[in-house]
Amino acid sequence: MYKYIFYFSLFIYIFSLVWGVLFTQEDFVQGNSFRIIYLHVPASFLSQSIYAAMAISSVIYLIWRVKLSAYLILAMAPIGALVTFLALFSGSVWGIPTWGTWWQWDARITSTLILFIMYLGLISLHNSFSNHEKADKLLSWLVIVGFVNIPIIKKSVDWWSTLHQSASITLTDKPTIDPSMLYPLIGSIIGFFGIVICLIIISSKVQIFKREKTKSWIKDYV
Amino acid sequence: MNVFYLEYLKLKKKTRHWIGPIIVFILIMIAYPLTVEFLEKDLEKGFYSLLWISILLSMMLATEDIFLEDYNDGTLEQTIISISSFPFLIAKKIFIYWFMIGIPISLFSFLFSLGITKNLNISLLVFPFAMICSYIFLNLFVFGSALSLNKGSVLGAIITMPLALPVLIVLGKGVIAIQFGINYLELLLLLLGSLSIIITSVPFIVSYIIKAHLE
Repeated sequence: MYKYIFYFSLFIYIFSLVWGVLFTQEDFVQGNSFRIIYLHVPASFLSQSIYAAMAISSVIYLIWRVKLSAYLILAMAPIGALVTFLALFSGSVWGIPTWGTWWQWDARITSTLILFIMYLGLISLHNSFSNHEKADKLLSWLVIVGFVNIPIIKKSVDWWSTLHQSASITLTDKPTIDPSMLYPLIGSIIGFFGIVICLIIISSKVQIFKREKTKSWIKDYV
Repeated sequence: MNVFYLEYLKLKKKTRHWIGPIIVFILIMIAYPLTVEFLEKDLEKGFYSLLWISILLSMMLATEDIFLEDYNDGTLEQTIISISSFPFLIAKKIFIYWFMIGIPISLFSFLFSLGITKNLNISLLVFPFAMICSYIFLNLFVFGSALSLNKGSVLGAIITMPLALPVLIVLGKGVIAIQFGINYLELLLLLLGSLSIIITSVPFIVSYIIKAHLE
């Protein structure tokens, strides 16, 4: 089933990307460089959403001891790291023509870098323990404590004066972006979201196979 | 009070554990003028950045094996069984470490700040910032130390270091605010607010983590 979701999401993403890159008008301030939003915005949005999902899974694991939650955290961490790296990289590429620099130690960029390091720390913490159950518990605690960084990233553009612009799309206000740019952007977010969800499902399956390989049901399934 | 005194005696006896971080801090501060050209303005420019990083490193060093000895000789296990309020014991232990290491380092921060900048007002205002940030860093590294209890302190320090970075940003802004005489109280209150959340939550989290290690 998820294969179809993956291909459908990939189609939506490529369609939105082609629409946004080739068929929307130039931005009157940034010119053509704005077109990187079709990668940067979905990646930035998902880098935080994945961490939030990991924090929810951690709470579920610590309270109800649902093993699947622990597997999900493990599956999401490397994908979260990859997506955060994409957000940082695409932001740097966008920064060169827009700000004249590829890197600036401002609040939004620094807090996103912290998120990236957090993802790497989570992966290395889990890998350093041979006792999986203990590692799952410690990982869950670290994810919950590290969640403090998510509101900081979200609010960084409001709390500090930064080079980074404030959000163009919010749940409460009318988008400040032109509809001709907005629709392919929404499409690219949906497509990217679907692709990442499918990758998480595949990665979770790998985790389940690795951790439950001695169980009889796995042998029957395989 | 007994637990306080016991923890104090335990740390006092382990001289290397509490003097070591203080000496490292002093050495960094003394070594700093040797690495830049001996012009007062050059020294002042990077002094506070170095000060916060030195406090961070000293606190990291102070918590290196805060629980390791007790974990290896079984004291931690016994304490969890015999004492119902384990998080409070953790909080007291962190406080004693701050009292023995954090406060002296904050005092030295004041003295070094006075020596380098020759400005009493700035140095007096830097002192509370140093006190608060040392306590925050201590709590964060205790959390890291608990996570990597028997895996070496480096892992714990690496994984908790990102959590200390926002504090460093606030400290950097704090110094600028003090130098220009604007809004430094807001930043001090922000740090105090963060500290109050951290000192109430970290002991509970650490106690759960240690219990997970001992299960």
